[in-house]
Amino acid sequence: MSAAFKAESLIGRNSVSRRDWMRMAAAGVAGSSMSGWLEELAADTVAHKSRRRSVILLWMSGGPTQIDTFDVKPDHVNGGPLKPISTSVPGMQICETLPKLSRMMEHIVPIRSMSTKEGDHSRGTYHLRTGYLPQGPVHYPTLGSLLSNELGVENSRLPNFVSISPFRRFNPAAYGPGFLGPRSSPLIVGDGGRVVFPDENATYEQSLQVRNLDQADDVTLSQADRRLAMLNDFDSGFRRSHPGTPTASHASAYSQAVRMMRSHAVKAFDLDEEEDTLREAYGKNQFGQGCLLARRLVERGVPFVEVSLNGVQGNQNFGWDTHSNNFEAVKTLTSVLDPAWATLLNDLNLRGLLDSTLVVWMGEFGRTPRINGSSGRDHWAESWTTVLSGGGVQGGQFFGETTPDGMKVKDRPVSAADLLATICHAVGVDPMGQNMSNVGRPIRIADPEAKPIMEILA
Amino acid sequence: MTGAYRFSCCFIAVIGLCLTAEPSAAEQPLTPDDVQKLANRIDDLIAEKWKENDVVSTSPSDDAEFLRRVWLDVAGKIPTAADSQDFFDDQSSDKRRRVVDELLNGPNYVVNSANFWRAVLIPEADTDFNVQFMLPGFESWLRQRLDEDKAYDDLVREILTMPVSGTNAFRNRNTLNPIAFYESKEIKPENLAAATSRMFLGIRIECAQCHDHPFDTWKQNDFWGYAAFFAAMQREPQRGSNGFLSQLKELFSQRTLTVPGTDEVVKATYLTGESPEIPAGTSARMTLADWMTSKDNPYFARTAANRVWGHFFGIGIVHPVDDFSELNPPSHPKLLDVLASELVKHDFDMKFLVRAITASRTYQLTSSVRSADDVTDPRLFSRMSVKGLTAEQLYASIGQAVGTHETFEESQRGRFQGGTTRARFIEEFSDSNSEPTERQTSVLQALSMMNGRLINDATGLQSSRTLAGILDYPGFDNSRRIETLFLATLNRRPRPDELERFVAYVDSSTAEEPPGKRQPGEKQRFEKRDKALSDVFWTLLNSSEFSLNH
Repeated sequence: MSAAFKAESLIGRNSVSRRDWMRMAAAGVAGSSMSGWLEELAADTVAHKSRRRSVILLWMSGGPTQIDTFDVKPDHVNGGPLKPISTSVPGMQICETLPKLSRMMEHIVPIRSMSTKEGDHSRGTYHLRTGYLPQGPVHYPTLGSLLSNELGVENSRLPNFVSISPFRRFNPAAYGPGFLGPRSSPLIVGDGGRVVFPDENATYEQSLQVRNLDQADDVTLSQADRRLAMLNDFDSGFRRSHPGTPTASHASAYSQAVRMMRSHAVKAFDLDEEEDTLREAYGKNQFGQGCLLARRLVERGVPFVEVSLNGVQGNQNFGWDTHSNNFEAVKTLTSVLDPAWATLLNDLNLRGLLDSTLVVWMGEFGRTPRINGSSGRDHWAESWTTVLSGGGVQGGQFFGETTPDGMKVKDRPVSAADLLATICHAVGVDPMGQNMSNVGRPIRIADPEAKPIMEILA
Repeated sequence: MTGAYRFSCCFIAVIGLCLTAEPSAAEQPLTPDDVQKLANRIDDLIAEKWKENDVVSTSPSDDAEFLRRVWLDVAGKIPTAADSQDFFDDQSSDKRRRVVDELLNGPNYVVNSANFWRAVLIPEADTDFNVQFMLPGFESWLRQRLDEDKAYDDLVREILTMPVSGTNAFRNRNTLNPIAFYESKEIKPENLAAATSRMFLGIRIECAQCHDHPFDTWKQNDFWGYAAFFAAMQREPQRGSNGFLSQLKELFSQRTLTVPGTDEVVKATYLTGESPEIPAGTSARMTLADWMTSKDNPYFARTAANRVWGHFFGIGIVHPVDDFSELNPPSHPKLLDVLASELVKHDFDMKFLVRAITASRTYQLTSSVRSADDVTDPRLFSRMSVKGLTAEQLYASIGQAVGTHETFEESQRGRFQGGTTRARFIEEFSDSNSEPTERQTSVLQALSMMNGRLINDATGLQSSRTLAGILDYPGFDNSRRIETLFLATLNRRPRPDELERFVAYVDSSTAEEPPGKRQPGEKQRFEKRDKALSDVFWTLLNSSEFSLNH
């Protein structure tokens, strides 16, 4: 009895936290010396020997229209007034709203047969961002947490998951690490970050800074260093005598935070280092500059960055929710989206980063093929489009097709879980890998029933 | 098929066991010190397992460790420096018991346990903006009931039987009632079934919603039969509104439910497989509540007792605390039986359990070990586990340490969370992982504690009340000042080596410049000393010892 009890508890429910703790301990946070944090910085030893793959997620808050972007319907009344244009890939047409992207089609695979289960903003956001339905007590992690957890490097100078101007109010859980815990939570920049009280007056440039990175105004740098050394020294005793996940995680978070505060890697957030012409090409707005920041982060080894396009004018929240005046709204939105995304692909390519960076475009659902009485399109999860571009996929092709009226998927419907599993494969992660969940049983990265689209992988 | 049959047998066997193992409530007269008796019983049953596993427990906690822990667990924040000082000075032998009694009678207990039960009952509010909006009436209702010392079974009964017709949680979000419980589950039978069985019975039947349970013995029909108790509620249709502002109603004639995607119609059925007669003209939820909260329902009392245990130890006897199943047996079955039957015997008085648990030697063990090698299986309870604080506990504790005082009305009651320092802090520090021994700190949280405004104001020379107090206090030297900062934050006195190092740090800041350089004047010397003390205060507030419950 007693032996069984012991064995069960060692390999059973606590194994994950134990493993995590060992990892954190091995990373040198559990018992470092007097001025450990600062010495570590001086040594500056972490180097990325073999580049891992990265993901940039372009999130279209509110649910982007498929017909006025990638799934044109020129021969049907549902197609609306916007015209198709030809692209750099013969035979492929997309909407005139995306002229710059149309020249880069060889890097792009629109998946036109998305068919998902949630037409409500909150539930749809959760569904697409976690690959699971919001149900029961399991706190599913957002895909950024899942993938950065797999692709990330322990002890990196920059966080493994950065989220730029997320609009989280629909469903904050869809933006969080869920059962993976705060260690896998994103570093959020951008004023859409607050759920409760966004700072609406901040300019886009201020808002792309990391909050609380500098010591308070009346604290000098040398005083801050003294404080940090004293804290690390004082804390080491408690860390030794009180082992456990909360203690190890506290130490690990502080050491990562200090590393960021004092590392030149944080220069990644300083967009002034870039040529003005390039900044113009991305677009001088929050989304455009967010995409530029994403490139700078990926360049420095950050495995997952998401940039949210929440709107262009006025309130930045769920601009793609175009229930009325869809066509005008889409023109405005794509005037920001098109240059930013196209420049991002081009910029990554010029720097040799495109092969190893997957750029994903999606929202929580698509929009009705039928145009409503207010020239708008409503929520539609039955047949819509997401896009994979860049590394890991074979661009220059469509996957899936909808009927001429756009109302049904013709063949190969793709679920949220299928999409997540495909993204996993494109960056070399096994979607059937498991994590221990908050309900004490292991959960796979993607739903076990997911069927990844192997045909479009590079 | 055979699985379901096996489970039913097992369920009945468990009830039988429970009823025969412990004599029933009414027969035993209560003695004045039931608390100590139960505390001893806990210790005996826990120690039995240590023996079996050849494990030695850690030593008892000292007064400082005990006081900080019990304040955090019962009152939801750390004690003040004065509370600690008074407790150390008290020489009476029953002071640990007395401090628990005092805390249980105070307002902090009400706030803390309301936060606790809110997190259990409406976890959706942590992540859903709409649900957050409905909370004021619910939280005020919960605090009022806890303040009235309402027994646990009555509290659950009130939630289960609340008349819903004519209510709307969005419009009447300041009305004191538990309607937000229903709205947060979207008044859907399947959500309410999953939530109530998990929360009140520790049974996770929700997997059976879509398919027969893969690990356990629940069938899809068990789930929908149970869900049928909640099938009669709906939203009054309203023109020109997308629905959520319209009122709820309950059709007492609606007694069955059609399993979605099938033609199968099921009757309201308990998880034991029995279908009760529901009196005409009443809510089926009344009938369900009778069964659910019955003293003979072994799952109800056990789940409650296990949850309270889990709160105080960070780990349940059944763990996770709401996952009772054949595949997840309790670490100490006998102890769970005892706690549950004592809870029943004391008419579901949760405070009684709190008194007994905190009086046990097991609860009072130190969390400190020599090294990580000395850590035994936490489910043996041979050492107090280190627990992370909730966002609410951390915020309130910072308030205690720095001497800010937020009134109850301002921070809690009826106010929509928006824009206040507290609301921002709670948002930044909330962790949807509710396991106290698994809580983590994020990089943004660390940055906020180190460089953010809250801590900077708290330790700033211009703005900190605690700091101002100790700097000006007549007759204090640097060691007394540092000692006071320790008491205010860590609720203990510094150890000699710690004191020596911090005093040396502060003294060196005012040391004379080398000969030849200009010597600082008295005013500058004071400024430097004050700055150095603010560094000490900052260090203590950022330490893991401050941020954790141990």
